[in-house]
Amino acid sequence: MSEAPAYRLDAMTGLALAAAIAVWWLGSTRLALDHGSDASRCADEALQALLLVRVTALAMVSVRVGALRGWRPGLAAGMGLIAPSWPVVVLAWSAGTRSATYVALAEVLLLAASVALPLVGLALHRLLQKKDLAVISGTLLGLAFAASAWAARGLWLMPSA
Amino acid sequence: MSRWPWLLGLALCGTTAAIAQPRIDLEATAAWNGWTRPSRVTEVDIRLSSDIATRATLDVAGGRQVVRVNLDLEPGRVVRLQVPIESAEGVAVSAVSPAAPPQRRDVRIAQSESPVLGLGLVTGDPVQLDGFHTVALDADNLPRNALAYSSIDALILDESTLGALDQRQLRALLVHAAECGRIVLLNADLPVRRVLDGSAGCGGRALMHATSLADAIDMLKSSLAANRVVSTALPGIGELASPDLVTWNRVLIVVAAYFAAAILAALFFSSLPVLLLAPALATVAILALLHAAPPSSQLVVWSEATSGAESARYQAWQRFPGLARGGMRVPVLQQLASARSCDPNQPMRFDFDAGHGQAAFAEFDTRLFRQVVLCYSGSFPVARALAIEARPDGMLQVRNSGSIGWPGGVLLAGGLVHELQALGPGDDMIVDTRSGKPFRDALMRTALARTRKDGAAALWELELGGITDIPPQSNAWLLVSIPPS
Repeated sequence: MSEAPAYRLDAMTGLALAAAIAVWWLGSTRLALDHGSDASRCADEALQALLLVRVTALAMVSVRVGALRGWRPGLAAGMGLIAPSWPVVVLAWSAGTRSATYVALAEVLLLAASVALPLVGLALHRLLQKKDLAVISGTLLGLAFAASAWAARGLWLMPSA
Repeated sequence: MSRWPWLLGLALCGTTAAIAQPRIDLEATAAWNGWTRPSRVTEVDIRLSSDIATRATLDVAGGRQVVRVNLDLEPGRVVRLQVPIESAEGVAVSAVSPAAPPQRRDVRIAQSESPVLGLGLVTGDPVQLDGFHTVALDADNLPRNALAYSSIDALILDESTLGALDQRQLRALLVHAAECGRIVLLNADLPVRRVLDGSAGCGGRALMHATSLADAIDMLKSSLAANRVVSTALPGIGELASPDLVTWNRVLIVVAAYFAAAILAALFFSSLPVLLLAPALATVAILALLHAAPPSSQLVVWSEATSGAESARYQAWQRFPGLARGGMRVPVLQQLASARSCDPNQPMRFDFDAGHGQAAFAEFDTRLFRQVVLCYSGSFPVARALAIEARPDGMLQVRNSGSIGWPGGVLLAGGLVHELQALGPGDDMIVDTRSGKPFRDALMRTALARTRKDGAAALWELELGGITDIPPQSNAWLLVSIPPS
């Protein structure tokens, strides 16, 4: 696959993730407004879900793409997954109780991970010397990262402002 | 030799500067002799003075609410103001002036679990009422803000205490009477009786007149046993106002537009910077949009009176939909009385206008989709009188028995809603009881729920022309109940 369609695929995946969470968040917010309950809880959960889903997707894709096609395509794949959610993140933060510092920090960490994870894939490629083996190892490592992110999700719950 | 005048001048300036530091005296006492009930509103009476002219900022903090007053203090003049505040065990009153050390007084407020009986008798006679906590009062213990009457559940006042009340105290007492507060007046003067009877709400059932203390206690006991006050709690905003979905619709459109634009960008541009720039620009645009056009507030006024009564009590809700996250400062509607936060858990700061004795601005934190509601309550003069006569053929004859005409409205009788024509004084109309409609909307449900099954009521939509800065989305209603004949 050429680089341009790959960017598109990653950006479309990022958009699909953001859209799914936006639909869920706006739907639950509408229900909360209709029932006169607090809509900030839905926003906090949406913010947490956006973070968790992107961490998982990033871990699974970036290491693999880094091992398969190098650092720059890995970085592009990670950015394509992270960036489309930013407008939804801003809206959910505006509606929620989470502190701006923690939300900004989470985004910075995601960007840092999108820079670092392809390097891990690249290092695997250079270490193992075989592309196929590096791709499989990168995918497995990415899955391990994603699984640990899911398992430890309670540890990085963002505090309220 | 020539240095001496300079040194003398400097010394004098230093002395003057030392003298110029103002000394602020601050005193604070709570209404009702320091008693209230949990989750009610009480009042703090504050006296502030300074020995030189200075500006001072006074903060009164109780519960999650702060009332701030900016004052110009003149030497030798005591500024006295009464600030309504949410019931809390401790209320902190602090005064800060640019050149003086800050002053702070803590006012202890006792919260009674039992209903409170206020007893304003100059004789000091003890009164015990089963289940009530009695608080002995002198005239100065009675509040100047009608809202503070929520601290007590019944009140006995004798003629001397009533005569010692100032104009603001009397006005607050009148509003309390209009809001169906349970009051027994002991040997009140005829003019005072007339004024209070004229303004009493709930058909005057909660305002009683006695000639002796024993008589007053008996009246109070029988009033409590019969629970003759129809209702004191007005309906909530949830029943009357539909949820505000303007903000939600706006956000939905913005999100849909963003995703549409982002998909087009992903389809037509293969460059990574463009794919990154699109969400970044959209984020900035959304942030700007959130701060650009805050939606206007919504006002709902619900008022009730008994047919022929001279005053109606009202409750109003002003809802502020949030858009951007941060602080919001809103003007308090000056024609409506007793502004407060509807949610006692909502931290709020009021800027109090000492000249008018009421809050001028409210400040609170808000966020997207959050709806902060200010509550108002009070009474206003009204002149609507209806007489209903049931005819043998099952029809109702409705007559305007008042001295002025009324506009078209609806009549609620027998659990059904009928059209009520505009009628001039003395005019009448015939209503077919079988032609009523079982209305299902929230307004009619609320009105029907507040109408006695064996009685009837008329409902009119009110014009809010007298209120300045009225929000574009405003509705007001007046429900006049007609007791069963």
